[in-house]
Amino acid sequence: MTDEALPRAPFFRQNRKALLGALAVALFLAAWQAVFLIIPFNPLFITTPGLMAKALVELAASGELSADLAVSAVPFLYGFGAAIIVGVPLGVVMGWRARWSYTLDPLLTALYASPLVALAPLVVIFLGVGVAGKAIIIFLLSVFPFVFNAAAGVRVVDPLLINVVRGMGGNERDLYLKVLFPSVMPYVVAGARIAIGRALIGVLVGEFFAASEGIGYAIARFGDMFALDRMFACILVITVLAVLFTEGIRWAERTAFPWRVRD
Amino acid sequence: MDQDAAIAAPADVFASAPPSLWRRIEPTALGLLGIAVPILLWELVPHVLTLKAGTKLFFAPPSTVAATLWTMFASGSVWAPLGASATGFAVGLGLAIVVALPLGVVIGRSETLNALLDPFVTAFNATPRLVFLPLLVLWFGLGLWSKVVIVFFGALFPLLINTYEGVRNADRLLVNVVRSFGANELDVARLVVVPNALPYIIAGLRLAIGRAVLGVVVSEFFGSSSGLGVVMVQAASQYHVDVVFAGIVIFTALSLAMTGLVKLLERRLARWRPQRPGGE
Repeated sequence: MTDEALPRAPFFRQNRKALLGALAVALFLAAWQAVFLIIPFNPLFITTPGLMAKALVELAASGELSADLAVSAVPFLYGFGAAIIVGVPLGVVMGWRARWSYTLDPLLTALYASPLVALAPLVVIFLGVGVAGKAIIIFLLSVFPFVFNAAAGVRVVDPLLINVVRGMGGNERDLYLKVLFPSVMPYVVAGARIAIGRALIGVLVGEFFAASEGIGYAIARFGDMFALDRMFACILVITVLAVLFTEGIRWAERTAFPWRVRD
Repeated sequence: MDQDAAIAAPADVFASAPPSLWRRIEPTALGLLGIAVPILLWELVPHVLTLKAGTKLFFAPPSTVAATLWTMFASGSVWAPLGASATGFAVGLGLAIVVALPLGVVIGRSETLNALLDPFVTAFNATPRLVFLPLLVLWFGLGLWSKVVIVFFGALFPLLINTYEGVRNADRLLVNVVRSFGANELDVARLVVVPNALPYIIAGLRLAIGRAVLGVVVSEFFGSSSGLGVVMVQAASQYHVDVVFAGIVIFTALSLAMTGLVKLLERRLARWRPQRPGGE
């Protein structure tokens, strides 16, 4: 609000950070493209931004890219959805009921610390390479941030709100629906930001292990084929998606819960 | 942030009488129960229910896993792969510390450098490092270095981002005082900025250890010729489920032990600090 009263800063000053960032990216790409004028270019070892862009357009035009992404999205949605559905209620109960927390917290902490990715080979043996196996790997990796963040959210609920609901004759159910769940939402969204990165790891692990389609499989296959331009294109797609997801959630956090700006 | 929230719980505001014995041991007792009961169930299920042959393979009971662990350590067969994993872990984490701390201090002190590097930090931090593994295998082969690079990139960003945050939070007043007494940028870093950022860096180290362990596991699964992860994948393909679980137990124990060490370090450093910074 006060900004508008001030005389407008020049365009460069206002957008300094974004402009410098864009400049750095542009310089990086230019240097990458230009360096092969000096050193010999070996397409089996590295690619150039130009070739990468061409490969990306080809993959997108042939429909291969969208087909792979669609295949990867299905287990991602199942696994991530299940993580929310299981993780948030579990976390809320653990935050609200001390005994549940005493009982479950050490076990879940140990599981969170353990590299659960290591279960992937077993899951693949047990369930095969279909949607179910990948969804379970994604679920296992992404459920814990939801549990711990929801529990942390409940622990900082204003006791006054609880007393008000109780004083007005609210029962346990009212407490959950009217106080606990709404107040943990910011924490759950913050947890989702952590969980989404782990879920992406789950997608890749599942598809590197055993799959015949999907974006992770595409990366591994193009690597085996030494098709580095297409491999870089797929890596770029994952990078862009990962940034969109994380920054999207961060934006949602700022927009939906502006009182809880913390980074 | 969850840790910080957790300590805010009003533990025993209303406790007037000294708590009974059960009250005091309840958290520990229930916690042990929460771990023991699933393990017991897991042990008992194959005895109580008749499982399909395929399902039985998956249920390596805890006693078998324990026996396998014992054999692995007693015969010494665990040391060579564990050594390979530990080397990858140590070199990757060490390099990450060596790079992240100076870089974090520099981008914390310079707006311009921060703006220049920010897109790369954001992109690399959000992207699962695993996508680069096939590429790294092409570049470095199946040896130590692809593992080191994955561990390095995994551990780099929590350290870098936390160092940056710690540097940014340095007290302006202290910086100005030191400057007024004729300190140059190096003195400012040494006297004010780095000591102030230390708790943040330690918190970042805690996150970095978790990421580094994860990096060791995934890189050994897909792109390595030696290490505990390689042993686990080979065992899985031969349906030696007990070895896989034994590997998970070893990795978990190591990860918890190292995180515990860092927590000790954190507490030691926090002793002279009036307030606890949120370093997550």
